[in-house]
Parts: sequence; C-alpha cells; structure tokens
Amino acid sequence: MALLTLQDIGKCYRQGEVEVQALTGIDLVLEEGEFTALVGPSGSGKTTLLNIIGGLDAPSSGHVHLNSTDLTNLNEAALSDFRLFQLGFIFQAYNLVPVLSALENVELIMVLQGRPLQERRERAEHYLALVGLKELMQRRPAALSGGQQQRVAVARALAPGPRLVLADEPTANLDSENAAALLDIMHSLSHEEKTTFIFSTHDPRVMDRAERIITLHDGSIIGDKRN
Amino acid sequence: MSRQRSHMPFFMLVKLAWRNLWRHRRRTIITLSSIAIGFGLAVVSIGIGDGSHNSMIRNAIKLGEGHLAVQVPGYLEAPANYKYLADGHSLQAKLEALHIAGSVEARISLQLLASSANNSVGAGLEGMNIVSDPRVAMLKPKMIAGHWLEADDHRGVLIGDGMARKLKVKVGGKVVLMAGTQGGDSQAQLGRVRGIFDSHVDELDDFLVLSDIDFARRFLTGEGAVAEQLPVTRFSVFLNDPDSMAQWKGLIQSAMAGEDVAVLDWHEMMPQLVQFIVIDDAGNYVFLTLILIMVVFGILNTVLMSVLERTREFGLLRALGLGRYHLLLLVMCESVLLSVLAVVIGWLVGGGAHWWISTHGIDFSALMGGEMSIAGTFMDPVIYTELSQGRVIQLTVIVFAVTLASGIYPALKAARVAPVAALRT
Repeated sequence: MALLTLQDIGKCYRQGEVEVQALTGIDLVLEEGEFTALVGPSGSGKTTLLNIIGGLDAPSSGHVHLNSTDLTNLNEAALSDFRLFQLGFIFQAYNLVPVLSALENVELIMVLQGRPLQERRERAEHYLALVGLKELMQRRPAALSGGQQQRVAVARALAPGPRLVLADEPTANLDSENAAALLDIMHSLSHEEKTTFIFSTHDPRVMDRAERIITLHDGSIIGDKRN
Repeated sequence: MSRQRSHMPFFMLVKLAWRNLWRHRRRTIITLSSIAIGFGLAVVSIGIGDGSHNSMIRNAIKLGEGHLAVQVPGYLEAPANYKYLADGHSLQAKLEALHIAGSVEARISLQLLASSANNSVGAGLEGMNIVSDPRVAMLKPKMIAGHWLEADDHRGVLIGDGMARKLKVKVGGKVVLMAGTQGGDSQAQLGRVRGIFDSHVDELDDFLVLSDIDFARRFLTGEGAVAEQLPVTRFSVFLNDPDSMAQWKGLIQSAMAGEDVAVLDWHEMMPQLVQFIVIDDAGNYVFLTLILIMVVFGILNTVLMSVLERTREFGLLRALGLGRYHLLLLVMCESVLLSVLAVVIGWLVGGGAHWWISTHGIDFSALMGGEMSIAGTFMDPVIYTELSQGRVIQLTVIVFAVTLASGIYPALKAARVAPVAALRT
C-alpha cells in the first residue's frame, strides 16, 4: 500500500539574479515498510527532496501525499504538527538539545505529542537500550561521543513510532561497527513495524543494506532499482 | 478527522528555559548582577527621595497648618486679620464630636508690625496652645536663647533669630506688635521676648512671632470679636494616619455644612511644596528611566545573544515539530525567569540597603550644612529611606514589565527561525 506519493515535484530557488532548478519532475511512490536510499552526487537534490517530503520546504510545483494528506495544502502550523506526529528525523550531526539528557532528548517528541509519562519513559528506555545507551541515558550530549549522540538521535526518531523516518546522511559520522548496528535496528523496524525509511546517503554501507536505491542527478531521478 | 496538535507542558517549558538560562553561567550572573545592582540603586534612590519628601511634608505639616485646616473662605488667597472664625467655641465642639484620630489645634494668625526701640519689621503673629501644639515639639529644641513660654504666660512672645537681629532685641526685651483694624484704626499689644529660636527656615526666623493664643486673641477682640466665643483664625487638624486625610476632610466638610468655613488639605495650603515634590520626583523618575534603559539592554544582550547562538538548535526543534508559538514561549519564559531572578536579587540588594538606611539613616549635614530650607519647610539632615507598599509594587511591576518587554524581540527572532535555513548553519 502506498504510503508516500510524489507527483511532478519541482523546486526552484533564486540565488540573487540566478534561478536554480533544484528538482524537476519528480514522480515517486513509496510503500509502507520500504527501506530506501536516495543517492547521487552533492547538489543532485537529495536533501532538498528530503526537506520537501518532510514538510520543511515547500515544492515550487507538484504535490506530496502521505497517505491521504496532501502536504502542499497544509499551512505552517499544520505541517509542524504533521512532522511531530507522523515523521521521524535523523540529521547528519548536532542533532540533540544540549540542555537535555539522552533520556529527555528521546522523550522530547513524545512529551510534545502529549503522551503519558509512563508510556514515553518505557518507550524511551526501550529504544535507548536498543541502541546500546541505556547505561548512559542520564548523560547530556556534551558527555557523549559523536557516535553515541547519533545513536541517541536515532532512538529519538524511532521511539515515538513514526510512519516515516527521514535520515540525512545518518551514518556519515559513525564508525563501521556503530553504523552497522544502527542499520540493523532500522532494518528490523522497517520489517517488524512497517516503518518506512528514506536515507539520503553517499555511504556504501547504507546502499548495501537498502532495499531500494533511487538515484538523483541534477534534480531528476535517473535510476530506481530494488536490491 | 481532527488534527493532532503539539502540546508543550509547562514543566518542560520551564525546565528548558531554566537550563538554557544557565548554559552561559558567567554571562547570566553578570547580567543578573547588573540588573540587580541597578534595581537596588533605584530602590535606594526612590527610597531616599520618598524619605526626604515625607520628612519635608511632616515638618511642613507640623510647622504649618496641619493635614487639614478649617478657616474662613478666601483666607488662603488674601489673608487678613479680620477674616476669623467668630464662634470658635461652637466649631471646636463640632470638631471634637467627630472624635478625629489625631489632634485639633486652635490657632490665630495675624499680620502686623513688630517694633522695638531700634527698628520695625513686618511680622506674622501665631497664637497657639503653647503646650500641646505640634509646633512646640518642632521649635522648642531650636531655642538658641531664653526659654519656651510658660503655660500661664499671656504677655511673653518668642521670635526668630532673624527678627531679633533686625529689631536688635534680646531675651527680656520689649516688642510692640501693632495691627490695623478693618475700620481703619490701629491696635497694639506689648510683648516681652522670652526666647529666640533658630529654625533654619528663613521665612520663619525673619517673620514669625509666637505667643499664647489668648495673647493673640486680644487683637481679634479689637476687631470686634467676642472673647467668650473663643474666636480663632483656624483650626488645624493633625491626623495620626496621613493616608486617612481625604476621608477626614469629607467628614469635617459634612460636619461643617451650613457654616461659612472652608476645609482645606495641606496640598491646597502649600502648593509650592507640592510643586517642589513633583519636580523632585521627576528627577528621580529620570534616574529610574536611565536604570531601566540599562536593564533593557542587559536583558536584550543576554537573551538575544543566546537566541542567535542557538539558531541551529531552534531549526532542529522546528524540524522535529515544535511550533513557532512554542519557541516564542520558550524564549519569553527565559526572559521571565531572568526577570524574576533579577527582581528577587534586586529586592535583596535594594531591600537590604533600604532596611539599613531606613534604620540608621544617612547624614547629609556635611553636604547640606545642617538643615536645608526648602519651600517654606526644612529637610532633616539625616535622611531615612521610606518605601510605601504602593512604591514596592510600582517598582516591582515596572522592572518586571521592562525586563519582560525586552525579551519580546529575541523571542520573535527565535520564532521566525526557518528550519531549513537554520539547519544549514
């Protein structure tokens, strides 16, 4: 069943006097539970596409449907709530709120969702345990290594149980062991809980694990293959 | 299907704001210190202003005509010896029936010519109860020669050192007091100088002659008054609680309905003093404004710096689903916490200083050269701070409101962060 549908997405930026066509005619359908990598050289439009899917940026043309919701029709406040309740985000680095502990960071989204304390505490501890950080959950980000911080960010994205997780170069700052462990967790979630993952990546380790690889070049899809 | 909405619980808002405030501990402490010291200075400055004003007002009321005065209409605008309350006895009975919380003093004020063997000067004779009148407590300690009048002394007078110099009289000397009557005649009484005072208020020392009320009343009977009716120029009312003045004024006016009298309060009787206080208060408000400007820039600097440093973090929070409104609330909450801390510490600093000065006072005699005469009254050289409950509330609300207002711009800036642009930083 299609979770995400992109119809003829275009994105045009203005840089001074120059118009930059970041995306052109993107048509894409993603099913529930797909484990997809967006690949392509720098400037090919991967991050722009992720931002549009995540409602962080609006397309210049076309429509984005997540289930029955057309994101292009939502106002800013509705998009904000949509991100909170439907999506999980993992960024490349500096992902955490520095004044909150690892546990509080993971709980944050569930707090904003208004979930009860017991439920969010259980889920946060479960996902921190899953990424191997239960022992360090009271530490603040400054007391964690870069790899540990990224694992906390992954736990934060997954703990609320989003339908779709968008990850922008999530393994760029991780060593092989940590990267493989995180990919294992995400891969099993995509199968067990039908969570859909979209990665923007240059990392061959991610590409090897991806079930579908979409290749972008100069803002257009030039390849779409399934592993 | 109804939209799911984000929800920022109060505890999370305060927790985030509080921790953010202490991210740069040193900066926050410096900002808090500058606001608290500024606020403390404002408290002391306003306290000294209010203390000195209140001291002047108290002195003026005791030396002058009390909190309230009952006298002939039009006397204030054009004082004249024939403008007196003929039936002082019945008016006093009406005033006593009110059981005023304070005291009522009968007084006679006359304009006349004081002459000695050497000179003549214009003078104001004030006849009063020379035992109970509040002026006794004010002027008795200021005697520099002779002694205060005895209770049964119906011939003795007290004069200021300025008049004594002009008339070239000493204690024991004679002074002839001469007044014209409404009919065009003149009348005179001989007074014997029992003592000389130096109040440091030139208007009093050069002009005032004090006597027992019965001595002064002889001039009123010379105007045609009946001595048995105890004529007076006015009744001065001294209240235990100055804040009850308006209430007592109303009650006295009601009690005096039908009588040809005017009931005036000290604001009406001493407009020059009121004007001086208004102008002096304006100076204090200028000082307070300067301090508030300092506070505004202190808060603005701290909160704005903190917002600009966290642009990426705000972008991240927006990306995760935190609404603009919540970011605005978060930064405003940081300003509120900073304001609350600043006001609390400011009150500890300013309140502590106020407590000390209100107990021990600051001696300004070296600067003032003793008591300072202002607007017909004098300011005590030792000034004690005074802060009314209204002032405490006013200062707290003003500083809190100003600190809060200075957080608005940084909060709006935080709320305007666009997630995509912020995450690129």
